[in-house]
Amino acid sequence: MNWSSPLPALVLVSAVLAVGTYALAVLDRANGDRVARRRLRPRDAVLQPARAASLLLLTRPTATERPDAQAWALAPALLAAMAAGALATVPLDRGVTVADVDDGIVLFGAAMAIVMVAVYLHGWSANSPLPLLGGYRFIALALSYEMPLALVLIAAALPAQSLSVGAIVESQQGLWNVLRQPLGLPLYLVAGMGLGFWGPLNTSDAPDLAGGTAVEVSGPQRLAWELARRFVVVAVAAMGAAVFLGGWQGPVLPGWAWMALKTLLLLAVVAHLGHRVARVRLERFVVVAWTVLIPLALVDVFVSGALAL
Amino acid sequence: MGIARWLTPLAAGADVPVFTAIGAGGRALADEAALLPGVRLVDSPRAANILLFVGAVTPPLLRPLLGIHDQLPTPRATVWWPGRAVGGGLASALPDLVVGPAGDGDHLRSVFAELLSGERRSEPPALPDQEAAEWRGVGPFGQGGTGMTGGVPYGRPLPSRAPDPDGLELDQLPLHVGPLFPPFPPGLILHIELQGDVVRQATVGDNPFAGATEDLDQDGPPLDTALFVGALTSPTPIGDLEVARARHHLRWAARTLRLHGLESEGLRLLGLARSLAPADRAAVESLAQRIARSRSLAWTTRGVGILGTDDVTGGPVARAAGLAVDARLHDPAYQGLGFSPVVHGAGDARDRLRQRLAEAVQALELAERAGSQLRRPGPPLEGPRGPLGTEDPLPSVALLGLLPRLLAGQEWGDAMTIVASLDLDLEEAAVGQPAPIPA
Repeated sequence: MNWSSPLPALVLVSAVLAVGTYALAVLDRANGDRVARRRLRPRDAVLQPARAASLLLLTRPTATERPDAQAWALAPALLAAMAAGALATVPLDRGVTVADVDDGIVLFGAAMAIVMVAVYLHGWSANSPLPLLGGYRFIALALSYEMPLALVLIAAALPAQSLSVGAIVESQQGLWNVLRQPLGLPLYLVAGMGLGFWGPLNTSDAPDLAGGTAVEVSGPQRLAWELARRFVVVAVAAMGAAVFLGGWQGPVLPGWAWMALKTLLLLAVVAHLGHRVARVRLERFVVVAWTVLIPLALVDVFVSGALAL
Repeated sequence: MGIARWLTPLAAGADVPVFTAIGAGGRALADEAALLPGVRLVDSPRAANILLFVGAVTPPLLRPLLGIHDQLPTPRATVWWPGRAVGGGLASALPDLVVGPAGDGDHLRSVFAELLSGERRSEPPALPDQEAAEWRGVGPFGQGGTGMTGGVPYGRPLPSRAPDPDGLELDQLPLHVGPLFPPFPPGLILHIELQGDVVRQATVGDNPFAGATEDLDQDGPPLDTALFVGALTSPTPIGDLEVARARHHLRWAARTLRLHGLESEGLRLLGLARSLAPADRAAVESLAQRIARSRSLAWTTRGVGILGTDDVTGGPVARAAGLAVDARLHDPAYQGLGFSPVVHGAGDARDRLRQRLAEAVQALELAERAGSQLRRPGPPLEGPRGPLGTEDPLPSVALLGLLPRLLAGQEWGDAMTIVASLDLDLEEAAVGQPAPIPA
């Protein structure tokens, strides 16, 4: 099947985002209950995301005084679109990539850069102070995520001598990048969690802002936003699995199953960290990002480059 | 309609999204709500279908409470756990108000189920749906227009210009936060001048519990520190006092963890606090040590809101700053229990967290050692926030006075960390304060 033609592409990307997001919600719930020592009912853990989504669909949206209504509606759509665009560059199996372009890594990075616009738009358009503060926070931190993300992805592309994600997966035959470039995956996950404003890097929608950019949204609008940010996390996990964990490569199981397992593994790590690591302090994170994370990412690039020569 | 019929049974099984608003004497009970199975506390009223009001309504709380009520999306219902006092105008403002048995999760879930099934009508707005002030903007998004910039034109706060520390002229937005803002202690109102997310100036607003405390003592639910207040006048087992102290500190720590994004860890602490006994010391100690050693929490709280030994005189905040003061040192009842105060030195938000966790563990040790030994009234008593029964103002009064200086120049996140770290109790601060004269 030609996965790059519109209908199959739409179906495939939507299905992966839906399954991945549901898995993330289940993992998040299971981790939360485990940390809180709450009795974990597997049935509840599996059904609760669907129940919560149904409730949001039945709840009426609300409005603030004079919001920028078009931008408010656009923000979750833009965020979801960027996540979908980013996911489209990821090979989901041997020969199954929706956007199998020569510079897929660049396209992925570009989509992730626009996440900043969507989050700020969401904070701005509610015409309310706390969401706006959430938007400011994301803007303040966005470059601290995007720089390490771009650098570690470039480092991963060096052994493949190609910016195509498919070529990067192929280049890991025999040795995955997680071992060849041990700095890559941890830095990538930190940056990815920031772009999905997840767990310790959820500063824009944080409890100290009573929910930040999402303070004022209700019902389906809230559901759309919550889904969209999880789409970003899923896209980041899928790309992480492809670029650092060998993608679809692995014995016995079909390629798509390996890809699913590796993506799930990264989603489980993200869900775990979300309940175990306290939210970062903005200023300190920026300092650490520019004095530690970005230099480490540069070391990753230089060492990978030297080894690739 | 068809889709709604299909979704309703599924939605009925969802965790009930509850926004808690806390009135006089309601904080401990609100903490319990977080532990109810099938209930999920949310940070914003927009994310809730049930507004849970816990405690007594004082007149200044009524209008903000109704404002929050109207922010809930429909279908919505309000449940009130009033303690002992039912009044304050809430019942007349919300005709569909459900006065529930306090702490009853089944009842809360049944109200939610009735709401979804349509057996219970969704509450209409309590306030008129009109703008607080006439809007005089003219642009496509209502912006611009004569006098629509700077200060509070026509009752509407808008940014003005003010210099920042770098000498730049930046927008400064006046913001009034509280008295039911979730990250704040109940009743706290702050008038904040914001530049970006930096608090340039903060002043404490009128205490909504002022003038109400005496009535509440007679008629309302108990204050957060009721056992300690009672121990000033009647013999009380030391074991009970120390377990109550440990419970108080653990609940505070749970709220602090939630603020820092560690809600699940906080729930675990709340679960321990609910049925706390001296025998739980080992479990509390192990958890407290893990939290106190958390590098991520240290990273978030170290160096934030530093108080020196000259700034404070008593309580855990002073001991976190390195001052070895504690009324128990001079209390005959504690002689022979081997008590010596735990002290830290940095005086920042991190040490205040470590201090209270260490004091919770120590309190359980003391409770174990004290057995059924009684403390007789007479000398000052060390309450969970500082000494009680002295000539000095109550601990929260002094702590509240520190806020404007501590918050000036802080980023929003640090400001919230500081407010939480002081463990303020506006009811305690209101003791003896007259009610404000209505405008």
